[in-house]
Amino acid sequence: MNTFILGNPGKCIGCKACEIACSVAHLDTSVVKANEMNLPFISRLNLVRTSSVTMPIQCRQCEDAPCANVCSVGAIVHKDNCNVVLEEKCIGCKECMLACPFGMIDMQPKFTEGEAEFQVGLKVESLQGEQKKAYVVMQKCDLCKGRANGPACIEVCPADAFVIVNPDFIRKNIHDKRVSSAQEIAKRKYTGNS
Amino acid sequence: MVDKDTDIIKIDAELCTGCRRCAEVCPVDAIEGKQGTPQFINVEKCVMCGQCIQICSAYASIFEEYRTSREDKLRERNMPVTLEEPIFAAYNIGDLPKVKEALTNTEAFTMVQCAPAVRVAIAEEFGMPLGSLAPGKLAAALRQLGFNRIYDTNFAADLTIMEEGSELVQRITEGGLLPMFTSCCPAWVKFVEQEYPELIPHLSSCKSPQQMAGTMFKTYGAQADGVEPDNIYSVAIMPCTCKKFESQRPEMNTDGYQNVDAVLTTRELAYLIKEAGIDFSSLPEEDFDKPLGMYSGAGHLFCATGGVMEAAIRTAYELITNEPIPNVNIQYVRGSQGVRRGVVHAGDVKVKTVVVSGLKNVVPILEEIKKGNADFHFMEVMTCPVGCVSGGGQPKVLLPKDTEIAYKNRISSTYRHDEEQTYRKSHENPEIKAIYKNFLGEPLGHKSHHLLHTEYKQRGYCK
Repeated sequence: MNTFILGNPGKCIGCKACEIACSVAHLDTSVVKANEMNLPFISRLNLVRTSSVTMPIQCRQCEDAPCANVCSVGAIVHKDNCNVVLEEKCIGCKECMLACPFGMIDMQPKFTEGEAEFQVGLKVESLQGEQKKAYVVMQKCDLCKGRANGPACIEVCPADAFVIVNPDFIRKNIHDKRVSSAQEIAKRKYTGNS
Repeated sequence: MVDKDTDIIKIDAELCTGCRRCAEVCPVDAIEGKQGTPQFINVEKCVMCGQCIQICSAYASIFEEYRTSREDKLRERNMPVTLEEPIFAAYNIGDLPKVKEALTNTEAFTMVQCAPAVRVAIAEEFGMPLGSLAPGKLAAALRQLGFNRIYDTNFAADLTIMEEGSELVQRITEGGLLPMFTSCCPAWVKFVEQEYPELIPHLSSCKSPQQMAGTMFKTYGAQADGVEPDNIYSVAIMPCTCKKFESQRPEMNTDGYQNVDAVLTTRELAYLIKEAGIDFSSLPEEDFDKPLGMYSGAGHLFCATGGVMEAAIRTAYELITNEPIPNVNIQYVRGSQGVRRGVVHAGDVKVKTVVVSGLKNVVPILEEIKKGNADFHFMEVMTCPVGCVSGGGQPKVLLPKDTEIAYKNRISSTYRHDEEQTYRKSHENPEIKAIYKNFLGEPLGHKSHHLLHTEYKQRGYCK
């Protein structure tokens, strides 16, 4: 079963530190200070704020992933209990964005060593003349695969609002629910309330 | 009543998510608002330490639309519009436009001073490792920017020790009001003025090093260069956002001349250097100018918590005993705990000291003093977590896990720089000896009292 990270809306304080940590973790250069961040924060999770809830939203790593099922170029593959995007294959067609039931996919500009990448063939016509067109790909949570301390969002959250939902967590959770159901049913039977 | 000058720290309501982490670090509970809604600052309570700026992680996202454009937000903050770094909800109003104007004004004779904590952090703004020590490059950069005199707050820190050390010895030996409090940290001074006005007389009457330097620029410095004080534009580079407030205080004026005309934070100076196209990391090492740029290791220590105390002890010990202090490295005042108590045995005199970092930690001690239970002579208070190296105007570290190493490295460079100095005690600085001989006379004398001391006032807001 795939692992995913779930934000707890009851704990989240909406500080956006997770978005910053996510963006920094996915750069190919080391960034410690605000001034070194000379490109926008490109986060793979998104903090949702409404009048009633604050919660970070990120990929659920679906077992039957709608995004992968609609991808016409096979840019989403399954690897180590996670659905991974092959950025070099992605053509930015946005079908995965529409297919995702949670709205957890973004099309984001691609940066290499702090520089935006541009398309080879496509130009944009503007008042300033022809401009290069940014290279935009699908990006989503990859559980910070390969990062020594695990997912950066969990590490930075001051409110402990994230939980890693992995097979062990699910097994224990389901097991506990079954036990409490059995106890509840047994209690009702003995007290004659069934 | 809201004082216009205290409106330096702001929170952008469009960007603020109401997480209230800023309220958690605010030492005076000046950040008000409900969880999940934009916060606002109670300017009467705010001590402008800028710790909220350092912790804020609510940034302007490119995926959201705001009523005010990024360019307009940068303009409101007095930050260069060409800046590429992300912008956050909590910020300070900058002073770059004023300084740029002075630098292009041919009538103005610009004198700049640089606080000790700037040289242990500014290199971070140019990609060098956390805590890189760069006094020489800093002086070179200021010279290339076109300042006429590159002076140093460290010199004035030495001067502060002469005055404050003498004041302490006088209060101890002649029976003045004790305990005496340091008055270098403007946020701490404002806190006493508004929360504990009955304790104002405990504050040392010394101006802070920033203000002492400013006074000296427009008197001794003016004489040295044959310039009219009117033509001197006095700029300070500080790790601190509250220094902007301090420089505008009406008490910080001598004979009609405001001691300091404009204050830039470490980050603002970095913007200026970048805008001027100066390649900081490859700058040659240059010296600060004399006479007001020469300093001892003791003066440099002011940027770390316990530093003023250590510098004061080095001098006070010798003032009291007339003998050299056995060990200049006074370890017990160093460290990162919020309160550190100790005793200095100077001959027959035992001076009991307290060092406090983090303004919240001082409240129980002030209550102790109010009850008449204080059993110590001298207290150093710094508002920021580990002193000025962690000030609100220092380079902003993005993730909290990195702040610890940033502070540790900046502090270790501080002590390394002290050890590198020829002179380690303020009273041994030859330019300090010269200024007393040629100009000031003696510590606590008539002239030094007029120029280097001030008074504090009870503020409208009181607890």
